[in-house]
Amino acid sequence: MERTLFHGSVAEKRAARLAHRHVESPASPGPACQNRSVKKLVFIPAWNEEQSIEAVIADAREHVPGADVMVVDDGSTDRTPELARRAGALVASLPFNQGVGAAHQTAYIYALRHGYEICGQLDGDGQHPASEVARLIEAVEEGADLAVGSRFADDVNPDIPEYRSTFARRLGQRLFSLLVSTSTRQTFTDTTSGMRALNVRAMEMFAERYSSEFAEVESLQQAVRAGLTVREVPVHMVPREHGHSFITPLTSAFYIFKTLVVLLIGQLRPRQVDQ
Amino acid sequence: MNFLLAATEPVVRLTPQARILAAVLAIAFMVLILDLIRRDKLLERYSIVWFLLGIGMLLGAIFPILLEWLAKAMGVRDVTIALFSVTLLILLALSLNFSVIASRQSKQITRLAQQSAIDGVEEESAETEEAEAEVR
Repeated sequence: MERTLFHGSVAEKRAARLAHRHVESPASPGPACQNRSVKKLVFIPAWNEEQSIEAVIADAREHVPGADVMVVDDGSTDRTPELARRAGALVASLPFNQGVGAAHQTAYIYALRHGYEICGQLDGDGQHPASEVARLIEAVEEGADLAVGSRFADDVNPDIPEYRSTFARRLGQRLFSLLVSTSTRQTFTDTTSGMRALNVRAMEMFAERYSSEFAEVESLQQAVRAGLTVREVPVHMVPREHGHSFITPLTSAFYIFKTLVVLLIGQLRPRQVDQ
Repeated sequence: MNFLLAATEPVVRLTPQARILAAVLAIAFMVLILDLIRRDKLLERYSIVWFLLGIGMLLGAIFPILLEWLAKAMGVRDVTIALFSVTLLILLALSLNFSVIASRQSKQITRLAQQSAIDGVEEESAETEEAEAEVR
């Protein structure tokens, strides 16, 4: 039922037509780029980020040349979509707020339909420098199915100041890392990182099923269990410039508990290894 | 043989007043269901289970022997306890069923929202391309 929604003949034909058009028209005279053949999409999930969205788009265009930039507007009530459009990004507007997972999934479905081979993602609040996302894309080009940027892994880029976090959040992070690392038998130091890059194989899996509330944490477990190559890449992130995290001590305790349950259930799901 | 003693002791039955009240409530409940369907507030497929429940209530009120059989089958002496337990189980099953339906529908809503967002991008890029073609 759900699948037919996306593989319907009309949509498919239209997607094919659009993809064809892209191929036919000679590449726009963009900056010299060594990897012109690989079609890349950089997307930015954003919910009411009017203060930072333009800067993030500009950053993405500068540091990931040759990639199309798309903003997935998750039901913003401010001027985020207008500003993004004016800054020259493609804008996919969800009609109402659906949660970060649904926003990511929207981009994966769009990317698959339009023949993008690599997809990079960074948050709309300016925490993720696009230069770091470019490194994640490189990791995927080198063979990883999914590359995740980690704030807490060692070897970091000295140009960007150290990421600071509160004690409670660090504690939660540690706990998630422990849980995910145990369940996947692979070390993860930053399980809630939304700075990622992925290839078609990973996008296909996430387009099919993707947790909406616990997207970042659960998707790592899901990917490793499905036999994908997941690489954690050390990156720098900058503390938020505008707004603040929705996670307060009380809700974070509950969030940790819910995530624990989700991971336990994830452990019981059948492995969906293909081949 | 102690476990057989329970069945031989006198059974606690519903009083006639309680039965009349139950019958009246059951009929009122079924009228309410019919009215909700008539006013398009309730889909038929969700109403059937409620209607069956109303009929069950009515039968229980009219034929107390049914409830006594139920109590006997469950091994309880008190008919009212049998009634409460069964009602509770039915409501539990129904609310679980509704949670499943709600989860499915929320997934479908997400898919629709994503579809509409993607359609929006495609329309927009088609329009820009047309505009560019006109300029040329």
